[in-house]
Amino acid sequence: MAGIGFELRKILARDSYTATLRAYVYAGLISSGPWVLSIISVMLIGVLATGIVTPNVLIRQFLVTVTYLMASSLILTGGLQLYFTRFVSDRLFEEKQTSILPNLVGILLLVTLVAGGLGFVLLATLFDQPFAYRLLVLANFVTLCDLWLVIIFLSGMKAYNRILVVMTLGYAIMIAAAFMLRFLGMNGLLMALLLGHAALLFMFLYDIIREYPADRLVAFDFLDRKQIFLSLLVTGLFYNLGIWVDKFVFWFNPLTSDAVIGPLRASILYDLPIFLAYLAIIPGMAVFLVRIETDFAEWYERVFNAVRGGETLQHISQLKEQMILAIRQGLLEICKVQGLTLVLVFLLAPQLLAWLGMSHYYLPLFYIDVVGVSIQVVFMALLNVFFYLDRRDTVLMLCTLFLGLNLALTLLSIELGPSFFGYGFTVSLACCVLLGLHRLDRVLDDLEYDTFMLRH
Amino acid sequence: MKDAPAATVTPDVCLLLEGTWPYVRGGVSSWVNQLILGLPELTFSVFFIGGQRENYEKRHYAIPPNVVHIEEHFLAGSWVPKGAPISPRRQAPVQLLRDLHAFLHHPDEPSAAQGDALVDAFAQGSVTLDDFMYSRASWEAITEGYERYCTDPSFVDYLWTLRAMQAPLLMLAEAARRLPRPRMIHSISTGYAGMLGAILQRRWGCNFLLSEHGIYTKERKIDLAQAKWIAEGPDEALRTGLDVDVSYIRRLWIRFFERIGLLTYKAADPIISLYDGNRRRQIQDGADPARCRVIPNGISLTQWQDALERRPEGVPPVVGLLGRVVPIKDVKTFIRAMRGVISAMPEAEAWVVGPEDEDEEYAAECHSLVTSLGLEGKVKFLGFQKIGDILPKLGLMVLTSISEAQPLVILEGWAAGVPVVSSDVGSCRELIEGSIPEDRALGTGGSVVAIADPQATARAILALLRNPGRWQAAQRTGLARVNRYYTEPLMLERYRELYQDAIGRSL
Repeated sequence: MAGIGFELRKILARDSYTATLRAYVYAGLISSGPWVLSIISVMLIGVLATGIVTPNVLIRQFLVTVTYLMASSLILTGGLQLYFTRFVSDRLFEEKQTSILPNLVGILLLVTLVAGGLGFVLLATLFDQPFAYRLLVLANFVTLCDLWLVIIFLSGMKAYNRILVVMTLGYAIMIAAAFMLRFLGMNGLLMALLLGHAALLFMFLYDIIREYPADRLVAFDFLDRKQIFLSLLVTGLFYNLGIWVDKFVFWFNPLTSDAVIGPLRASILYDLPIFLAYLAIIPGMAVFLVRIETDFAEWYERVFNAVRGGETLQHISQLKEQMILAIRQGLLEICKVQGLTLVLVFLLAPQLLAWLGMSHYYLPLFYIDVVGVSIQVVFMALLNVFFYLDRRDTVLMLCTLFLGLNLALTLLSIELGPSFFGYGFTVSLACCVLLGLHRLDRVLDDLEYDTFMLRH
Repeated sequence: MKDAPAATVTPDVCLLLEGTWPYVRGGVSSWVNQLILGLPELTFSVFFIGGQRENYEKRHYAIPPNVVHIEEHFLAGSWVPKGAPISPRRQAPVQLLRDLHAFLHHPDEPSAAQGDALVDAFAQGSVTLDDFMYSRASWEAITEGYERYCTDPSFVDYLWTLRAMQAPLLMLAEAARRLPRPRMIHSISTGYAGMLGAILQRRWGCNFLLSEHGIYTKERKIDLAQAKWIAEGPDEALRTGLDVDVSYIRRLWIRFFERIGLLTYKAADPIISLYDGNRRRQIQDGADPARCRVIPNGISLTQWQDALERRPEGVPPVVGLLGRVVPIKDVKTFIRAMRGVISAMPEAEAWVVGPEDEDEEYAAECHSLVTSLGLEGKVKFLGFQKIGDILPKLGLMVLTSISEAQPLVILEGWAAGVPVVSSDVGSCRELIEGSIPEDRALGTGGSVVAIADPQATARAILALLRNPGRWQAAQRTGLARVNRYYTEPLMLERYRELYQDAIGRSL
């Protein structure tokens, strides 16, 4: 994410309220944009379809299909996203820009084939829906998988206005298409989704191709043994599984779920609050990106330039203290902003739910989910710091713990009854953040020893 | 790394060789070769220490049958971390690591007991390479030394310097654990080989003999003074050459070699040098005078018998400099001296006998000096020649070197009946004028003049060439001296005695 820090710093350097606001808007857009905008768009599509696509169960089937598409595509590509991000930044560091695009083409080819093959097998064996539905689901699945990989490049792009335009355009196409195709029922909505995501995918690809020169059409350097960080693949997989495992538990527990379409099950009770809750992380994510990518990244660079540049140990330690301060302030600021958001959401939640036509029975679950996703922002910030410090082992440990705890505590919460729903997710994240903070403390304490004696 | 099968017989002598035999041609290597071949009744094991493997690809000497074991170890790379160990596998010895640093790197003069404890730790293997490279205790010892003493800013440089010093020592100490146990140890230098000798002596409890040709520590100091790889701070370039202003990294290296040299001197008995000047130097560097002895190099006289017999009557008016055309031989002073000689004695000629390809720029300067002094046709560059063919044609041999230890060429000249005029370097004065009283009583085998003094050199040359009586006396003295003190059998006999004594004491 080297590019974004630089750009954000440039905007912040203008030192005015509007500039600062712009920096945070961009950061929010880039960090949570595709994810949050997707949720909003899909919900909007649901609203648009109401009354046109009948019976209403079809809309629910559509929403659940989309949820599964999101979950499965993110889980499948999570590891690759992490791994390919690292691959790209390594190439940029080596100043081998020309090998980036061919490898992107290579990895997209691979993902398309794997996702297509896997989707084909699953759809052929587990589903008995009409051919058109299955074909559209397959197309959507492959498109999403590719899109998640292309989105890595967002933070490296310099033309932020362009990102804004592309995103607006993509989601506008999706909604407009849904409006026009809704008479086709479920297939029309799926087609709109496909059109929107495909538009995003190809517009971003177009920008990337324009920005990165290439010496070959396609390359598979990223598959070279020595360049593969297996741990990154596993980390990404576990992280995304961790995010979704509590949902799967609820979906496949007969008590909390019902069958919606084909083998897909959903939990009316559990799903809606958590997806709504995710809208509340936008402020936190924006702060996270700005703080980590500007302040922290800047001090981090200074520390390691001092290490390489032959500075005195005392000076290196002083810079490290500044870096620690930047981390502390960053985390604190995320907590402040996210805390404020939390208070607002708590205050407004009853009206919000009433406005959305949701029962107030959802309120407790919604509250705990908002707390959970807020902690998730802190968790992501921590993981990012660990990635900067090249503590892949710690990230893997935390993600594994998160997956395990979320699974175990969610199962336990179902045992304990409805008033504990959502606690599995939130408590497991809280545990991971506490442990992560503890580890970070140790890592930062030992930074010099670790850097010089074990990694130098 | 082992080459010969593990010794089935106990080797009599374990030779510790740093950067010499059998890989490098040169004075020390041919001496080692002479020693091994000359004492066929003894068996040897060889532990060779090199810098980088790439620099030692070809052996220049055949391995004699009495070398029963040979292994080689290379220092380069031992200080490169092999990737972080997963977890601290053992508790590193905190105090020991601190003592190790204090002894090797800190400016305060260490005590003998500290050195003793250090050798013990190495011998018992209570400090490992991993302890030094990765342990927290080692980190604390390093940072403590850096914060208290280091005056250079760069911590990275300090760390790598320490690694480049200590890691080879620990690597060697660990590698030598698998070495077959000999009856005694013989190291041919201080430095890493000498330090290893001290460690192995402690481990095996046998006798440790040290022979030094040059003075290792002094040579390292000269290397370090010229080393370009040590980064010069911007201030350092502006400073004068005062010792306190030398970069701390340079001082660390010098201190390190001094300290391991000291440990070697404390352990070795006897300590052999080639001539008295070096013996005094060893004592000055911390060697016990009671243990120091001089054993000069020896040459095989039969080899030069023929050259002596082929000598024509009288004194050929030819002056020869036998050596490579390089600055250290100061060929220019020789040429300038010949200007004076030829002015006074027009029939005289000068021959420069030796390869010119090592420093072509310097060789070209020498040629143009000959032209500018109008000595064309009088000073001839003969290139590489067989010395045996040249010596009978020379009336005098001249050595103008600015640095020598014990030049064999002087002994060879004498053996072939040629008196020598030499600059006053290394053992040259001892050789030409004699060292002990009965040696001095033999007279002088030529003349000794100050270095870089063409006038004095010319006067000394003329005095011998134009005075047959003096010349004949010098020839007689040279022949007698080389026969009495500097023969190969004599050198071998002395070492045979030392070996037998050391092995006997070990039993």
